[in-house]
Amino acid sequence: MTEKTAAPGSARAPGHTVASTLADDTRQVPPPLMEQSFEFLGDEDIPCSRYTSRAFADLETERLWGRSWQWACREEHLQDVGDNYVYNIGPYSIIVIRSEEDNIQAFINSCSHRGTKLLGGEGAGYSPQLTCPFHGWTWNIKGELESLPAKWDFPHASAETHGLHPVKTELWGGFVFFNLDPNAKPLVDYMDVMPEHFSHFPLEQRRIRVHVQKTLPANWKASQEAFMEAYHNFETHNAPNGANTQYDVFGKYVSRFIHNIGNYSPESLSDYPGDKWRDPPLTENELLQMLSIFGLDHDEVPAGETARSIAAEDLRRRIGKGLGVDLSAVSDCMMLDSIEYHLFPNMFFFPGITVPMVYRFRPNGDDVDSCIFDLMILEPLPEGAEHPEPPEPEKLSVEQSYTESEALSWLAPVYDEDTGNLDLQQQGFKTSRKPGITLGNYQESRIRRVHMTLDEFLQE
Amino acid sequence: MNEFLQVASLSDLPQGQTLCVEIDGREVLLCHTAEGVYAVDNLCSHADARLCDGKLKGQKILCPLHGAAFDVRDGNALTRPAITPIASHSVTVDDDAILVALTD
Repeated sequence: MTEKTAAPGSARAPGHTVASTLADDTRQVPPPLMEQSFEFLGDEDIPCSRYTSRAFADLETERLWGRSWQWACREEHLQDVGDNYVYNIGPYSIIVIRSEEDNIQAFINSCSHRGTKLLGGEGAGYSPQLTCPFHGWTWNIKGELESLPAKWDFPHASAETHGLHPVKTELWGGFVFFNLDPNAKPLVDYMDVMPEHFSHFPLEQRRIRVHVQKTLPANWKASQEAFMEAYHNFETHNAPNGANTQYDVFGKYVSRFIHNIGNYSPESLSDYPGDKWRDPPLTENELLQMLSIFGLDHDEVPAGETARSIAAEDLRRRIGKGLGVDLSAVSDCMMLDSIEYHLFPNMFFFPGITVPMVYRFRPNGDDVDSCIFDLMILEPLPEGAEHPEPPEPEKLSVEQSYTESEALSWLAPVYDEDTGNLDLQQQGFKTSRKPGITLGNYQESRIRRVHMTLDEFLQE
Repeated sequence: MNEFLQVASLSDLPQGQTLCVEIDGREVLLCHTAEGVYAVDNLCSHADARLCDGKLKGQKILCPLHGAAFDVRDGNALTRPAITPIASHSVTVDDDAILVALTD
């Protein structure tokens, strides 16, 4: 506890920084990744009840999920006119439809006659019109009432009064966003730096390679928070790097970490238990060995290179060839690192090439104690290539392991580790005599930022 | 099982497409997916809509009326409002010829 005199939140792990690693990159690093943005947000405990209380979850349903922008699907799910996507969040359900060649609309998934859901389940479908399975009322894909049996009995129902209830939508980065609040401000008002930063990382120029949807045994916030810091790497993943991860908070809605892969700072572990990875430190060859899971051409670091530079070079060639994309000018940072943007309330976007994920965490129906975690791998598409039909999500239950998804390959055991503590944490919230959880001032600051913004939504 | 009858040519059924054929007065939908050619009854088990007016997505055929999905490989109903499977028929492909044997 030597940093007592330092201002709270100003202390950092010893050793080299992400910024110094990026300064040594073999290519030009995209300018947004050179930006840093951090301020101390406080150190008060976060009440455990926020993760376990029915009343708190109900408030979230009404004031968070009912008011915040979220993505429902990718545009590539809606390739042809009439393609639709049913998306459920808590008790709410919407139908997103490509209603015209260049228009996507969304509607509340409920019949204007007696309320029945028009489409059951969730996911991609197709219908040239929408017909209620109860009495057969029918709307066109623009949500206009077209016909209803026994019209003579409904002189009080017409296209003017009984169209499907529209939901606001916007497109960004190849995602279809919606907001259930008809008075919501535009999406861009809730994206801080993301439009500018992602102009360097066009996600619309990517395709869904893998989509895995797993139920997790913890509240949606606890689950996403397991992915918002790399502080857990040492204990959870038995991994040396993570202690010198860079964290940025860009505003109320967007935060980021950059976690270098292929190097680490032995000094950053100086107050960790034992000598592991510190004395003696890992050699460059040992670091390269750890990266072999990516599938590299080299198994030794040539003279004049580092594990990081040679791994990035192998991956540029290997992934570039596999995808038909020229990656020769892409930085080591973009090739290797875990660069994770979080968009309030529940969305993560990774602009990297080898670590190109998208996450979304949402309540599992009305269950406070579990959530649905959508994990996608978004692969770069060659210039001018059309998006192929996206894969159906692979669904995994709480009990199933990520290793049951072959497509996840080397990532599967990592996600099993990431999610392996969640049941213990959710149960621990309930037995805790300490009313709140404690957060690190720097490494866990992104978690605090989400709770602060959540409070703004809930108090309005 | 009935005998295999040639019902269509593979060249008339590109991957990703469906083709409705009639066998013994019964409408059968041929579906050419990435995994191969399959044959199921053409009528939705929920409200008898013709599935040839719907859409093949991956291994699913989607009903044009209420969006019910069936697995074309075995006819299983995947989503509501359909709960009853549709009949699935045996298919063999011999060069360009698609042959189907009705299951009953």
